[in-house]
Amino acid sequence: MDLFTRLCAAWMSLMVLLAIVGPFLPLPDPREADFEASAVGPFSPGHLLGTDSNGYDLLSNVVNGARTSLMIAFVSVVVGGALGAAIGIVSAYRRGRLDRFVNLLFNIVLSIPNLVLGLALVAILATSSDPSVVISPSRRVIVIMIALTFIVVPVLGRIARGATLTWINREFVVAARSMGMRDRHIILRHIVPNVLPAIYSVGFLAVGVVIVAEGALSLLGVGVVDGVSWGAMISRVAGEFTFVPHSMYVPVTVLALTVIASNQLGDYLRSRLDLREGRL
Amino acid sequence: MLKSTVVAALRRLLQASLVVIGATFLLSLLLRLLPVGLEDLYVVGVNDADRAAFARELRLDRDPITYYLLWLWDFVRGDLGWYVQGGGLSEPVSGRLADALPVSLQLVFYSQAVSLLVAVPLGIFTALRVGRRSDRVLSYGLFTASSIPNFVFGLLMASFFGVTLAWFPPLGYVAPSENLGEHVRSMVLPVAALSIPLIATYTRLLRTDVIATLREDYVTMAVSKGLSTRRILFSHVLRPSSVTLFTSFALNMGALIGGTIVIEQVFTIPGIGQEIGLAIFSRQFFALQSYVALIAVGFIVFNMVADVVVGFVDPRTRERRSA
Repeated sequence: MDLFTRLCAAWMSLMVLLAIVGPFLPLPDPREADFEASAVGPFSPGHLLGTDSNGYDLLSNVVNGARTSLMIAFVSVVVGGALGAAIGIVSAYRRGRLDRFVNLLFNIVLSIPNLVLGLALVAILATSSDPSVVISPSRRVIVIMIALTFIVVPVLGRIARGATLTWINREFVVAARSMGMRDRHIILRHIVPNVLPAIYSVGFLAVGVVIVAEGALSLLGVGVVDGVSWGAMISRVAGEFTFVPHSMYVPVTVLALTVIASNQLGDYLRSRLDLREGRL
Repeated sequence: MLKSTVVAALRRLLQASLVVIGATFLLSLLLRLLPVGLEDLYVVGVNDADRAAFARELRLDRDPITYYLLWLWDFVRGDLGWYVQGGGLSEPVSGRLADALPVSLQLVFYSQAVSLLVAVPLGIFTALRVGRRSDRVLSYGLFTASSIPNFVFGLLMASFFGVTLAWFPPLGYVAPSENLGEHVRSMVLPVAALSIPLIATYTRLLRTDVIATLREDYVTMAVSKGLSTRRILFSHVLRPSSVTLFTSFALNMGALIGGTIVIEQVFTIPGIGQEIGLAIFSRQFFALQSYVALIAVGFIVFNMVADVVVGFVDPRTRERRSA
């Protein structure tokens, strides 16, 4: 593991740690405006990273935003990945008409650029029946999770399907089948353990994609707009960074570093995987 | 040989039309996911008979399949539906689209052109110095740049080059017909924001492929014949090395359309992205459906063309596919 990968792993661990212990840290409430010190720069007393023009503490928002942003990423990648992997593996194992249909379905969903599809899904699911009632941030988070899960399914599903197809004709699978092993056992004992590494590495890449999507959706006005997340921070300051540039630099940097880290970790896993495959 | 290419192209066309139909049908189903009846969004306080008449006008009384088929028939003829307001139709979507689409396409094409112009020389340069320190540093830099989302570059550059240094306008759009110089100036930052991640991606792809091609026997042969480096690069290396780059180029057409949506929002450029944002904000779901469908169709067509063209450029992929 080289230095860059280690740094990435360290950054990712730090973010996950902050997401977990964030609410217990002695920080100001992320949604409480400090009117005495609005738009103060970094290293101000009481506000290590400064505040934005509303007087919201940036450090507190970064730490508590990690919770929302990483939770959205984690839930949609794990749920979407599990669903996609299950569909992909079974369809590749069964072959035939089912497989062709599933492949077509994956292609259909992948044919709509993921951000555009996410945008449409969130916009539709987060419409309140009464225009005067604003949808609460927590419901928005759930809607975003559902939309992004839907996007992750075909991405990881296709990877799982492709990986399964390469393993399905290996000698040990054929042998297991000829000995009369049940399909369910073959899939669980022989296919899944071999397909999982590919899923892990692409899963890390998907985490990056989902974090970016959360930020982009916020910029487009359909993210966790009034909540506490990195995307929400960016969308709040997007219109006014002329006056308080550091309030934009902080969330943008944290988001970019996290995406770089998850991409690098995914890439590292993939290169390890290629090494292992090469040795066979 | 040619016949098999034509057959492959036709099969690809059939596949693509299936995907187009599936994707547009999926999108038309999305409208049914709305937690409210669509007609209720636009009419307030009218009697039931009027509301039913309005729902009929919007075809909301039809079953999903009939609704979709009617929508498809309109779509094919260029009728993209209407903006709806206060219980009536207000403005055709195609009219707004005619203004917005060229702006978005300009962004996409400028970004692709700039990306290729920078990435091709950079990719070859890094491939020729593989393993050296400059290549390693550059590779890490490129990896990092390809991971950073374009809106991050957009915001940072708008703030730094747009506001702090004030070299370029931080937001706004000027049409080329209005003032060409100002048009170019207004496009510099958004195009740069879209291009940087693309340049990084393209350079990495080309670098990997050039390195692989340089190890081929026929390159060693060309070197031993005493051909000049430039001659070898252009007549032996570049074409076989550009297949992955080309595929990625076409795939990124769709990704770029997604990217422009956000960048248009950051720089307030009146393209499709802005129209989509407005449609969501003002709950124009029929317009939203048509915009998204249009993007999906464009994406599918680009991919199909790329696939077929790659088959012509590199016969090896064609044989592999038919096998």
